Amino acid sequence: MIGVALCGAALVPHDPLLPLGAPWGPPSGDTPLGTDALGRDVLSRVLAGGRHLTGTAGLAALIASATGIAGGLLAGWRDGPVSRALSALADLLLAIPLLLIAMLLAVTLPGTVAVVAATVCGGAPLTLRIVADAVRRVRTAGYVEAALGRGESGPAILRREMLPALAGLAGQDLGARFVVALQIAAALSLLGLGLAPPAPDWAAMIRENLGGAGLNPAALVAPAAALALLCLAVSAAGHAAVARSRGPR
Amino acid sequence: MIRWALVRAPLLLAGVSVAVFAATEALPGDAALARTAGRATAAQLAALRADGGLDDPVWLRYLRWVWGLLRGDAGVSLLSDRPVSDLIGQRLPAAVILAAAALAVTVPVMLSLAWVAGTGSVAGRYATALVTATAAVPQVVVAAGLTALFAGVLGWLPPVSLVPAGGAPPPATLILPAVSLALPAAAYGAMLLRGVVADTLALPCVRDAERRGLSRLTVALRYALPPLLAPTVRILALVSAGLFAATAVVETMFGYAGLGELLAGAVANRDTPVVQAVAMLAAAVAVGGLLVADVLAAATDPYRARS
Repeated sequence: MIGVALCGAALVPHDPLLPLGAPWGPPSGDTPLGTDALGRDVLSRVLAGGRHLTGTAGLAALIASATGIAGGLLAGWRDGPVSRALSALADLLLAIPLLLIAMLLAVTLPGTVAVVAATVCGGAPLTLRIVADAVRRVRTAGYVEAALGRGESGPAILRREMLPALAGLAGQDLGARFVVALQIAAALSLLGLGLAPPAPDWAAMIRENLGGAGLNPAALVAPAAALALLCLAVSAAGHAAVARSRGPR
Repeated sequence: MIRWALVRAPLLLAGVSVAVFAATEALPGDAALARTAGRATAAQLAALRADGGLDDPVWLRYLRWVWGLLRGDAGVSLLSDRPVSDLIGQRLPAAVILAAAALAVTVPVMLSLAWVAGTGSVAGRYATALVTATAAVPQVVVAAGLTALFAGVLGWLPPVSLVPAGGAPPPATLILPAVSLALPAAAYGAMLLRGVVADTLALPCVRDAERRGLSRLTVALRYALPPLLAPTVRILALVSAGLFAATAVVETMFGYAGLGELLAGAVANRDTPVVQAVAMLAAAVAVGGLLVADVLAAATDPYRARS
Protein backbone atom coordinates (compact mmCIF):
# COMPACT_ATOMS: atom_id res chain seq x y z
CA MET A 1 0.00 0.00 0.00
CA ILE A 2 2.89 2.35 0.79
CA GLY A 3 4.39 1.38 -2.57
CA VAL A 4 1.16 2.27 -4.39
CA ALA A 5 0.97 5.56 -2.50
CA LEU A 6 4.55 6.49 -3.45
CA CYS A 7 4.67 5.18 -7.04
CA GLY A 8 1.01 5.51 -8.10
CA ALA A 9 1.78 8.71 -9.98
CA ALA A 10 3.63 6.61 -12.61
CA LEU A 11 0.49 4.57 -13.37
CA VAL A 12 -2.05 7.32 -14.05
CA PRO A 13 -4.21 6.78 -17.16
CA HIS A 14 -4.94 10.53 -17.56
CA ASP A 15 -3.32 13.80 -16.53
CA PRO A 16 -4.60 14.32 -12.93
CA LEU A 17 -4.77 18.10 -13.49
CA LEU A 18 -6.72 18.15 -16.78
CA PRO A 19 -10.55 18.24 -16.97
CA LEU A 20 -11.98 15.38 -19.06
CA GLY A 21 -15.72 15.98 -18.92
CA ALA A 22 -18.61 17.27 -16.84
CA PRO A 23 -18.08 17.74 -13.10
CA TRP A 24 -19.02 14.77 -10.88
CA GLY A 25 -19.72 12.51 -13.84
CA PRO A 26 -20.61 8.92 -12.90
CA PRO A 27 -18.10 6.10 -13.52
CA SER A 28 -17.73 5.13 -17.19
CA GLY A 29 -15.41 3.00 -19.32
CA ASP A 30 -12.84 5.74 -19.77
CA THR A 31 -13.00 7.01 -16.18
CA PRO A 32 -13.61 3.96 -13.94
CA LEU A 33 -14.24 6.11 -10.84
CA GLY A 34 -15.98 8.99 -12.60
CA THR A 35 -14.91 12.63 -12.51
CA ASP A 36 -14.46 15.13 -9.68
CA ALA A 37 -15.63 18.69 -8.92
CA LEU A 38 -13.76 20.09 -11.95
CA GLY A 39 -14.35 17.12 -14.27
CA ARG A 40 -10.92 15.56 -13.70
CA ASP A 41 -10.37 11.79 -13.63
CA VAL A 42 -10.81 10.53 -10.05
CA LEU A 43 -8.73 7.36 -10.58
CA SER A 44 -5.72 9.33 -11.83
CA ARG A 45 -5.98 11.79 -8.98
CA VAL A 46 -6.23 9.00 -6.41
CA LEU A 47 -3.17 7.26 -7.86
CA ALA A 48 -1.16 10.48 -7.87
CA GLY A 49 -2.54 11.92 -4.63
CA GLY A 50 -0.74 9.85 -2.00
CA ARG A 51 2.89 10.59 -2.63
CA HIS A 52 3.26 13.93 -0.88
CA LEU A 53 1.15 12.80 2.09
CA THR A 54 3.07 9.54 2.54
CA GLY A 55 6.47 11.16 2.10
CA THR A 56 5.72 13.90 4.61
CA ALA A 57 4.26 11.48 7.15
CA GLY A 58 7.13 9.02 6.75
CA LEU A 59 9.73 11.72 7.28
CA ALA A 60 7.80 13.12 10.25
CA ALA A 61 7.49 9.65 11.82
CA LEU A 62 11.22 8.95 11.42
CA ILE A 63 12.23 12.25 13.05
CA ALA A 64 9.64 11.94 15.85
CA SER A 65 10.62 8.34 16.64
CA ALA A 66 14.35 9.07 16.58
CA THR A 67 13.91 12.13 18.82
CA GLY A 68 11.72 10.19 21.22
CA ILE A 69 14.07 7.20 21.40
CA ALA A 70 17.10 9.43 22.02
CA GLY A 71 15.20 11.33 24.70
CA GLY A 72 13.90 8.10 26.24
CA LEU A 73 17.38 6.57 26.44
CA LEU A 74 18.63 9.75 28.10
CA ALA A 75 15.69 10.01 30.52
CA GLY A 76 15.61 6.32 31.42
CA TRP A 77 19.31 5.70 31.90
CA ARG A 78 19.87 7.97 34.89
CA ASP A 79 17.37 9.52 37.26
CA GLY A 80 18.37 13.13 37.69
CA PRO A 81 17.46 16.69 36.74
CA VAL A 82 17.79 15.94 33.00
CA SER A 83 15.44 13.01 33.29
CA ARG A 84 12.94 15.04 35.30
CA ALA A 85 13.11 18.00 32.90
CA LEU A 86 12.53 15.75 29.87
CA SER A 87 9.58 14.05 31.54
CA ALA A 88 8.06 17.40 32.53
CA LEU A 89 8.40 18.70 28.97
CA ALA A 90 6.78 15.52 27.66
CA ASP A 91 3.89 15.94 30.12
CA LEU A 92 3.39 19.54 29.05
CA LEU A 93 3.23 18.61 25.36
CA LEU A 94 0.90 15.67 25.99
CA ALA A 95 -1.59 17.82 27.92
CA ILE A 96 -2.40 19.85 24.78
CA PRO A 97 -4.44 18.24 21.97
CA LEU A 98 -2.18 17.33 19.07
CA LEU A 99 -4.36 18.93 16.40
CA LEU A 100 -4.25 22.24 18.28
CA ILE A 101 -0.42 22.11 18.30
CA ALA A 102 -0.44 21.32 14.59
CA MET A 103 -2.74 24.26 13.77
CA LEU A 104 -0.70 26.68 15.88
CA LEU A 105 2.47 25.60 14.10
CA ALA A 106 0.72 25.98 10.75
CA VAL A 107 0.16 29.70 11.44
CA THR A 108 3.83 30.44 10.81
CA LEU A 109 5.26 27.30 9.19
CA PRO A 110 4.39 25.98 5.72
CA GLY A 111 2.05 22.96 5.85
CA THR A 112 4.62 20.22 5.29
CA VAL A 113 7.01 21.56 7.92
CA ALA A 114 4.11 22.02 10.35
CA VAL A 115 3.13 18.35 9.95
CA VAL A 116 6.70 17.25 10.75
CA ALA A 117 7.03 19.65 13.69
CA ALA A 118 3.62 18.70 15.13
CA THR A 119 4.37 14.99 14.86
CA VAL A 120 7.62 15.55 16.74
CA CYS A 121 5.89 17.69 19.40
CA GLY A 122 3.00 15.27 19.89
CA GLY A 123 4.62 11.92 19.09
CA ALA A 124 8.11 12.13 20.51
CA PRO A 125 6.86 12.58 24.13
CA LEU A 126 4.91 9.32 23.90
CA THR A 127 7.94 7.49 22.46
CA LEU A 128 10.10 9.07 25.16
CA ARG A 129 7.81 7.79 27.89
CA ILE A 130 7.63 4.24 26.49
CA VAL A 131 11.39 3.99 25.84
CA ALA A 132 12.32 5.51 29.22
CA ASP A 133 10.10 2.95 30.98
CA ALA A 134 11.64 0.11 28.97
CA VAL A 135 15.19 1.33 29.67
CA ARG A 136 14.43 1.57 33.40
CA ARG A 137 13.25 -2.05 33.33
CA VAL A 138 16.25 -3.30 31.31
CA ARG A 139 18.74 -1.27 33.36
CA THR A 140 18.88 -3.91 36.07
CA ALA A 141 18.84 -6.91 33.70
CA GLY A 142 21.74 -9.38 33.99
CA TYR A 143 23.35 -8.66 30.66
CA VAL A 144 23.43 -4.90 31.27
CA GLU A 145 24.96 -5.34 34.71
CA ALA A 146 27.48 -7.75 33.17
CA ALA A 147 28.44 -5.09 30.62
CA LEU A 148 28.73 -2.51 33.39
CA GLY A 149 30.93 -4.96 35.30
CA ARG A 150 33.18 -5.36 32.24
CA GLY A 151 33.72 -1.63 32.49
CA GLU A 152 31.93 -0.59 29.29
CA SER A 153 30.88 3.03 28.98
CA GLY A 154 27.28 4.20 29.25
CA PRO A 155 26.84 5.19 25.57
CA ALA A 156 28.32 1.86 24.42
CA ILE A 157 25.90 -0.09 26.63
CA LEU A 158 22.96 2.01 25.42
CA ARG A 159 23.92 1.33 21.82
CA ARG A 160 25.00 -2.31 21.96
CA GLU A 161 22.88 -3.79 24.75
CA MET A 162 19.76 -1.69 24.92
CA LEU A 163 18.94 -0.67 21.34
CA PRO A 164 18.65 -4.30 20.11
CA ALA A 165 16.35 -5.07 23.04
CA LEU A 166 14.17 -2.11 22.03
CA ALA A 167 14.05 -2.92 18.29
CA GLY A 168 10.54 -4.40 18.29
CA LEU A 169 9.25 -1.57 20.43
CA ALA A 170 10.84 0.95 18.08
CA GLY A 171 9.22 -0.75 15.08
CA GLN A 172 5.74 -0.52 16.57
CA ASP A 173 6.41 2.99 17.73
CA LEU A 174 7.47 4.07 14.25
CA GLY A 175 4.22 2.61 12.89
CA ALA A 176 2.16 4.45 15.48
CA ARG A 177 3.91 7.79 14.77
CA PHE A 178 3.45 7.23 11.02
CA VAL A 179 -0.30 6.83 11.51
CA VAL A 180 -0.49 9.96 13.68
CA ALA A 181 1.57 11.91 11.14
CA LEU A 182 -0.81 10.79 8.38
CA GLN A 183 -3.80 11.88 10.46
CA ILE A 184 -2.27 15.31 11.06
CA ALA A 185 -1.24 15.68 7.42
CA ALA A 186 -4.76 14.75 6.32
CA ALA A 187 -6.35 17.17 8.79
CA LEU A 188 -4.10 20.12 7.82
CA SER A 189 -4.51 19.34 4.15
CA LEU A 190 -8.29 19.28 4.58
CA LEU A 191 -8.10 22.71 6.22
CA GLY A 192 -6.37 23.98 3.07
CA LEU A 193 -2.93 24.17 4.69
CA GLY A 194 -1.34 21.40 2.60
CA LEU A 195 -0.44 21.44 -1.08
CA ALA A 196 -1.73 24.28 -3.23
CA PRO A 197 -5.15 23.50 -4.84
CA PRO A 198 -4.61 21.99 -8.30
CA ALA A 199 -2.16 19.35 -7.01
CA PRO A 200 -3.82 15.99 -6.31
CA ASP A 201 -3.98 15.10 -2.61
CA TRP A 202 -6.32 12.62 -0.92
CA ALA A 203 -7.45 14.85 1.92
CA ALA A 204 -7.93 17.87 -0.36
CA MET A 205 -9.93 15.61 -2.73
CA ILE A 206 -12.25 14.69 0.13
CA ARG A 207 -12.95 18.36 0.73
CA GLU A 208 -13.37 19.22 -2.96
CA ASN A 209 -15.78 16.37 -3.60
CA LEU A 210 -17.91 16.60 -0.46
CA GLY A 211 -20.51 18.68 -2.32
CA GLY A 212 -20.87 16.01 -5.01
CA ALA A 213 -21.59 13.18 -2.58
CA GLY A 214 -24.98 12.63 -4.22
CA LEU A 215 -23.79 12.87 -7.85
CA ASN A 216 -20.62 10.78 -7.80
CA PRO A 217 -20.01 9.18 -4.38
CA ALA A 218 -16.94 7.41 -5.85
CA ALA A 219 -15.12 10.74 -6.04
CA LEU A 220 -15.49 11.02 -2.25
CA VAL A 221 -15.13 7.36 -1.28
CA ALA A 222 -12.03 6.54 -3.38
CA PRO A 223 -9.57 9.01 -1.75
CA ALA A 224 -11.08 8.29 1.68
CA ALA A 225 -10.63 4.53 1.17
CA ALA A 226 -7.05 5.03 -0.06
CA LEU A 227 -6.22 7.10 3.03
CA ALA A 228 -7.86 4.56 5.35
CA LEU A 229 -6.10 1.58 3.73
CA LEU A 230 -2.73 3.31 4.00
CA CYS A 231 -3.25 4.04 7.71
CA LEU A 232 -4.46 0.48 8.41
CA ALA A 233 -1.51 -1.01 6.50
CA VAL A 234 1.04 1.07 8.43
CA SER A 235 -0.64 0.33 11.74
CA ALA A 236 -0.73 -3.42 11.01
CA ALA A 237 2.93 -3.39 9.96
CA GLY A 238 3.83 -1.79 13.29
CA HIS A 239 1.94 -4.45 15.24
CA ALA A 240 3.62 -7.17 13.16
CA ALA A 241 7.05 -5.73 14.04
CA VAL A 242 6.35 -6.12 17.73
CA ALA A 243 4.92 -9.62 17.31
CA ARG A 244 8.02 -10.72 15.36
CA SER A 245 10.46 -9.32 17.93
CA ARG A 246 8.68 -11.27 20.69
CA GLY A 247 9.20 -14.46 18.67
CA PRO A 248 7.17 -17.67 18.89
CA ARG A 249 5.85 -18.43 22.35
CA MET B 1 -1.92 15.13 45.35
CA ILE B 2 -4.84 17.55 45.01
CA ARG B 3 -2.59 20.45 45.95
CA TRP B 4 -0.09 19.49 43.23
CA ALA B 5 -2.89 19.26 40.67
CA LEU B 6 -4.09 22.75 41.62
CA VAL B 7 -0.57 24.16 41.25
CA ARG B 8 0.08 22.33 38.00
CA ALA B 9 -2.97 23.59 36.10
CA PRO B 10 -2.04 27.33 36.15
CA LEU B 11 1.60 26.45 35.44
CA LEU B 12 0.52 24.42 32.41
CA LEU B 13 -1.70 27.25 31.17
CA ALA B 14 1.15 29.75 31.60
CA GLY B 15 3.45 27.46 29.61
CA VAL B 16 0.83 27.11 26.89
CA SER B 17 0.25 30.88 26.73
CA VAL B 18 3.99 31.46 26.15
CA ALA B 19 4.02 28.76 23.45
CA VAL B 20 0.88 30.13 21.74
CA PHE B 21 2.23 33.69 21.79
CA ALA B 22 5.66 32.61 20.54
CA ALA B 23 4.24 30.40 17.76
CA THR B 24 1.98 33.15 16.41
CA GLU B 25 4.32 36.12 16.95
CA ALA B 26 7.07 34.48 14.89
CA LEU B 27 5.20 35.58 11.75
CA PRO B 28 6.94 38.07 9.49
CA GLY B 29 4.90 41.26 9.34
CA ASP B 30 2.61 42.51 12.09
CA ALA B 31 -0.90 43.73 12.77
CA ALA B 32 -0.20 47.15 11.23
CA LEU B 33 0.89 45.61 7.93
CA ALA B 34 -2.02 43.18 7.93
CA ARG B 35 -4.60 45.87 8.79
CA THR B 36 -3.49 48.27 6.05
CA ALA B 37 -2.87 45.55 3.44
CA GLY B 38 0.06 47.42 1.85
CA ARG B 39 -1.90 50.61 1.18
CA ALA B 40 -0.13 52.75 3.80
CA THR B 41 3.08 54.77 3.61
CA ALA B 42 6.02 54.07 5.89
CA ALA B 43 5.14 57.09 8.05
CA GLN B 44 1.53 55.98 8.47
CA LEU B 45 2.69 52.48 9.38
CA ALA B 46 5.09 53.86 11.97
CA ALA B 47 2.32 55.98 13.50
CA LEU B 48 -0.03 52.98 13.61
CA ARG B 49 2.65 50.86 15.29
CA ALA B 50 3.45 53.48 17.89
CA ASP B 51 -0.28 53.88 18.54
CA GLY B 52 -0.88 50.14 19.02
CA GLY B 53 2.31 49.53 21.01
CA LEU B 54 3.70 47.20 18.36
CA ASP B 55 7.22 48.65 18.76
CA ASP B 56 7.41 47.52 22.36
CA PRO B 57 9.67 44.61 23.29
CA VAL B 58 8.20 41.11 23.01
CA TRP B 59 7.85 40.51 26.75
CA LEU B 60 5.84 43.72 27.18
CA ARG B 61 3.50 42.78 24.33
CA TYR B 62 3.13 39.30 25.84
CA LEU B 63 2.23 40.71 29.27
CA ARG B 64 -0.22 43.15 27.71
CA TRP B 65 -1.85 40.29 25.78
CA VAL B 66 -2.16 38.08 28.89
CA TRP B 67 -3.54 41.00 30.93
CA GLY B 68 -6.10 41.59 28.18
CA LEU B 69 -7.13 37.92 28.15
CA LEU B 70 -7.56 37.93 31.93
CA ARG B 71 -9.91 40.91 31.62
CA GLY B 72 -11.80 39.22 28.77
CA ASP B 73 -10.34 41.50 26.08
CA ALA B 74 -8.72 39.39 23.38
CA GLY B 75 -8.03 42.18 20.90
CA VAL B 76 -9.50 42.87 17.47
CA SER B 77 -9.65 40.49 14.51
CA LEU B 78 -7.23 41.52 11.75
CA LEU B 79 -9.67 40.25 9.14
CA SER B 80 -13.01 41.71 10.15
CA ASP B 81 -11.94 44.46 12.59
CA ARG B 82 -14.43 43.14 15.14
CA PRO B 83 -13.56 42.35 18.77
CA VAL B 84 -12.42 38.74 19.09
CA SER B 85 -14.59 38.19 22.16
CA ASP B 86 -17.67 39.08 20.05
CA LEU B 87 -16.68 36.56 17.38
CA ILE B 88 -16.19 33.85 20.00
CA GLY B 89 -19.36 34.70 21.91
CA GLN B 90 -21.39 34.52 18.71
CA ARG B 91 -20.16 31.02 17.89
CA LEU B 92 -19.92 29.58 21.39
CA PRO B 93 -23.52 28.22 21.63
CA ALA B 94 -23.23 26.27 18.35
CA ALA B 95 -19.82 24.92 19.37
CA VAL B 96 -21.08 23.80 22.79
CA ILE B 97 -24.17 22.13 21.28
CA LEU B 98 -22.04 20.14 18.81
CA ALA B 99 -19.45 19.15 21.42
CA ALA B 100 -22.17 18.05 23.84
CA ALA B 101 -23.92 16.01 21.14
CA ALA B 102 -20.61 14.37 20.17
CA LEU B 103 -19.70 13.59 23.79
CA ALA B 104 -23.16 12.13 24.42
CA VAL B 105 -22.34 9.55 21.72
CA THR B 106 -18.65 9.15 22.60
CA VAL B 107 -18.85 8.33 26.29
CA PRO B 108 -21.23 5.33 26.25
CA VAL B 109 -19.66 3.89 23.07
CA MET B 110 -16.15 4.25 24.46
CA LEU B 111 -16.98 2.74 27.86
CA SER B 112 -18.82 -0.28 26.49
CA LEU B 113 -16.17 -0.96 23.81
CA ALA B 114 -13.36 -0.73 26.38
CA TRP B 115 -15.21 -3.06 28.76
CA VAL B 116 -15.91 -5.70 26.08
CA ALA B 117 -12.38 -5.43 24.64
CA GLY B 118 -10.83 -5.72 28.09
CA THR B 119 -12.55 -8.96 29.04
CA GLY B 120 -10.29 -11.10 26.84
CA SER B 121 -13.15 -13.24 25.48
CA VAL B 122 -13.62 -13.98 21.76
CA ALA B 123 -15.89 -10.92 21.48
CA GLY B 124 -13.15 -9.00 23.29
CA ARG B 125 -10.59 -9.89 20.65
CA TYR B 126 -12.93 -8.75 17.88
CA ALA B 127 -13.66 -5.55 19.78
CA THR B 128 -9.92 -4.91 20.24
CA ALA B 129 -9.28 -5.35 16.53
CA LEU B 130 -12.22 -3.06 15.69
CA VAL B 131 -11.08 -0.39 18.14
CA THR B 132 -7.44 -0.48 16.96
CA ALA B 133 -8.46 -0.26 13.31
CA THR B 134 -10.96 2.57 13.84
CA ALA B 135 -8.47 4.58 15.89
CA ALA B 136 -5.95 4.34 13.03
CA VAL B 137 -8.34 5.81 10.43
CA PRO B 138 -8.10 9.61 10.04
CA GLN B 139 -11.08 11.69 11.11
CA VAL B 140 -11.58 13.06 7.59
CA VAL B 141 -12.05 9.52 6.30
CA VAL B 142 -14.73 8.76 8.90
CA ALA B 143 -16.52 12.00 8.06
CA ALA B 144 -16.23 11.41 4.30
CA GLY B 145 -17.44 7.81 4.60
CA LEU B 146 -20.46 8.76 6.69
CA THR B 147 -21.32 11.61 4.31
CA ALA B 148 -21.01 9.42 1.23
CA LEU B 149 -23.30 6.80 2.79
CA PHE B 150 -25.96 8.83 4.58
CA ALA B 151 -25.99 12.01 2.50
CA GLY B 152 -24.84 10.64 -0.86
CA VAL B 153 -26.13 7.12 -1.42
CA LEU B 154 -29.08 7.02 1.00
CA GLY B 155 -29.89 10.73 0.97
CA TRP B 156 -31.22 10.69 4.55
CA LEU B 157 -29.17 13.55 5.98
CA PRO B 158 -27.93 16.90 4.64
CA PRO B 159 -24.25 16.89 3.56
CA VAL B 160 -23.68 20.40 4.95
CA SER B 161 -24.73 21.71 8.35
CA LEU B 162 -25.38 25.42 8.04
CA VAL B 163 -26.37 27.10 11.28
CA PRO B 164 -29.12 29.73 10.86
CA ALA B 165 -28.07 33.14 12.21
CA GLY B 166 -28.97 33.55 15.86
CA GLY B 167 -30.72 30.21 16.15
CA ALA B 168 -30.06 26.68 17.27
CA PRO B 169 -28.91 24.24 14.57
CA PRO B 170 -31.68 21.85 13.43
CA PRO B 171 -31.11 18.40 14.99
CA ALA B 172 -30.77 16.61 11.62
CA THR B 173 -27.76 18.74 10.66
CA LEU B 174 -26.03 17.78 13.93
CA ILE B 175 -26.04 14.02 13.34
CA LEU B 176 -23.25 13.70 10.76
CA PRO B 177 -20.78 16.12 12.43
CA ALA B 178 -21.45 14.70 15.91
CA VAL B 179 -21.00 11.07 14.84
CA SER B 180 -17.90 11.97 12.80
CA LEU B 181 -16.42 13.52 15.93
CA ALA B 182 -17.56 10.73 18.24
CA LEU B 183 -16.41 7.59 16.40
CA PRO B 184 -12.63 8.30 16.28
CA ALA B 185 -12.70 9.76 19.79
CA ALA B 186 -14.53 6.73 21.20
CA ALA B 187 -12.18 4.31 19.44
CA TYR B 188 -9.08 6.16 20.66
CA GLY B 189 -10.39 6.33 24.23
CA ALA B 190 -11.41 2.66 24.20
CA MET B 191 -7.94 1.72 22.93
CA LEU B 192 -6.34 3.52 25.89
CA LEU B 193 -8.86 2.20 28.42
CA ARG B 194 -8.84 -1.43 27.20
CA GLY B 195 -5.47 -2.25 28.75
CA VAL B 196 -6.51 -0.70 32.08
CA VAL B 197 -9.71 -2.78 32.10
CA ALA B 198 -7.76 -5.96 31.29
CA ASP B 199 -5.26 -5.26 34.09
CA THR B 200 -8.03 -4.55 36.58
CA LEU B 201 -9.95 -7.72 35.74
CA ALA B 202 -6.72 -9.68 36.35
CA LEU B 203 -6.29 -8.20 39.87
CA PRO B 204 -6.19 -10.84 42.66
CA CYS B 205 -9.17 -9.30 44.48
CA VAL B 206 -11.33 -9.48 41.33
CA ARG B 207 -10.22 -13.07 40.59
CA ASP B 208 -10.93 -14.07 44.20
CA ALA B 209 -14.37 -12.56 44.14
CA GLU B 210 -15.15 -14.49 40.95
CA ARG B 211 -13.98 -17.75 42.52
CA ARG B 212 -16.06 -17.15 45.63
CA GLY B 213 -19.06 -17.37 43.32
CA LEU B 214 -20.29 -13.79 43.60
CA SER B 215 -22.54 -12.69 40.77
CA ARG B 216 -20.85 -10.99 37.83
CA LEU B 217 -22.68 -7.75 38.52
CA THR B 218 -21.47 -7.70 42.14
CA VAL B 219 -17.89 -8.43 41.06
CA ALA B 220 -18.00 -5.67 38.47
CA LEU B 221 -19.61 -3.05 40.73
CA ARG B 222 -17.81 -3.76 43.97
CA TYR B 223 -14.35 -4.96 42.90
CA ALA B 224 -13.62 -3.89 39.32
CA LEU B 225 -15.19 -0.43 39.10
CA PRO B 226 -13.51 1.43 42.01
CA PRO B 227 -9.92 1.04 40.74
CA LEU B 228 -11.12 1.82 37.19
CA LEU B 229 -12.70 5.15 38.11
CA ALA B 230 -9.57 7.33 38.24
CA PRO B 231 -7.95 6.19 34.96
CA THR B 232 -11.33 6.37 33.21
CA VAL B 233 -11.83 9.99 34.24
CA ARG B 234 -8.29 10.87 33.07
CA ILE B 235 -8.85 9.23 29.68
CA LEU B 236 -12.25 10.95 29.37
CA ALA B 237 -10.55 14.31 29.96
CA LEU B 238 -7.93 13.59 27.28
CA VAL B 239 -10.56 12.37 24.81
CA SER B 240 -12.82 15.39 25.35
CA ALA B 241 -9.92 17.79 24.81
CA GLY B 242 -8.99 15.97 21.60
CA LEU B 243 -12.61 16.02 20.47
CA PHE B 244 -12.83 19.76 21.08
CA ALA B 245 -9.73 20.32 18.92
CA ALA B 246 -11.03 17.96 16.23
CA THR B 247 -14.10 20.19 15.73
CA ALA B 248 -11.78 22.33 13.57
CA VAL B 249 -11.67 19.58 10.93
CA VAL B 250 -15.25 18.36 11.19
CA GLU B 251 -16.86 21.82 11.38
CA THR B 252 -14.85 22.92 8.35
CA MET B 253 -15.94 19.84 6.41
CA PHE B 254 -19.63 20.34 7.15
CA GLY B 255 -19.59 24.13 7.05
CA TYR B 256 -20.81 24.28 10.66
CA ALA B 257 -20.15 27.72 12.15
CA GLY B 258 -18.63 26.78 15.50
CA LEU B 259 -15.37 27.65 17.22
CA GLY B 260 -13.36 25.00 15.39
CA GLU B 261 -14.29 26.47 12.05
CA LEU B 262 -13.43 29.94 13.36
CA LEU B 263 -9.97 28.68 14.41
CA ALA B 264 -9.35 26.87 11.12
CA GLY B 265 -10.29 29.95 9.11
CA ALA B 266 -8.15 32.20 11.30
CA VAL B 267 -5.14 29.89 10.88
CA ALA B 268 -5.58 29.89 7.10
CA ASN B 269 -5.84 33.72 7.07
CA ARG B 270 -3.06 34.28 9.65
CA ASP B 271 -5.54 36.21 11.80
CA THR B 272 -3.31 36.02 14.90
CA PRO B 273 -5.55 37.59 17.59
CA VAL B 274 -8.34 35.11 16.78
CA VAL B 275 -5.93 32.15 16.64
CA GLN B 276 -4.39 33.12 19.99
CA ALA B 277 -7.74 33.55 21.72
CA VAL B 278 -9.41 30.37 20.42
CA ALA B 279 -6.23 28.31 21.02
CA MET B 280 -6.04 29.57 24.61
CA LEU B 281 -9.73 28.75 25.09
CA ALA B 282 -9.18 25.20 23.78
CA ALA B 283 -6.07 24.79 25.93
CA ALA B 284 -7.96 26.05 28.97
CA VAL B 285 -10.68 23.45 28.33
CA ALA B 286 -8.01 20.72 28.04
CA VAL B 287 -6.12 21.78 31.19
CA GLY B 288 -9.36 22.28 33.11
CA GLY B 289 -10.48 18.77 32.17
CA LEU B 290 -7.19 17.31 33.37
CA LEU B 291 -7.49 19.27 36.62
CA VAL B 292 -10.99 17.93 37.27
CA ALA B 293 -9.72 14.42 36.45
CA ASP B 294 -6.77 14.77 38.85
CA VAL B 295 -8.99 16.02 41.67
CA LEU B 296 -11.55 13.24 41.12
CA ALA B 297 -8.76 10.66 40.91
CA ALA B 298 -7.27 11.86 44.18
CA ALA B 299 -10.68 11.90 45.87
CA THR B 300 -11.50 8.32 44.83
CA ASP B 301 -8.00 6.91 45.45
CA PRO B 302 -8.38 3.99 47.90
CA TYR B 303 -4.82 4.53 49.17
CA ARG B 304 -5.33 8.24 49.82
CA ALA B 305 -5.24 7.76 53.60
CA ARG B 306 -1.82 6.14 53.40
CA SER B 307 0.07 8.77 51.42
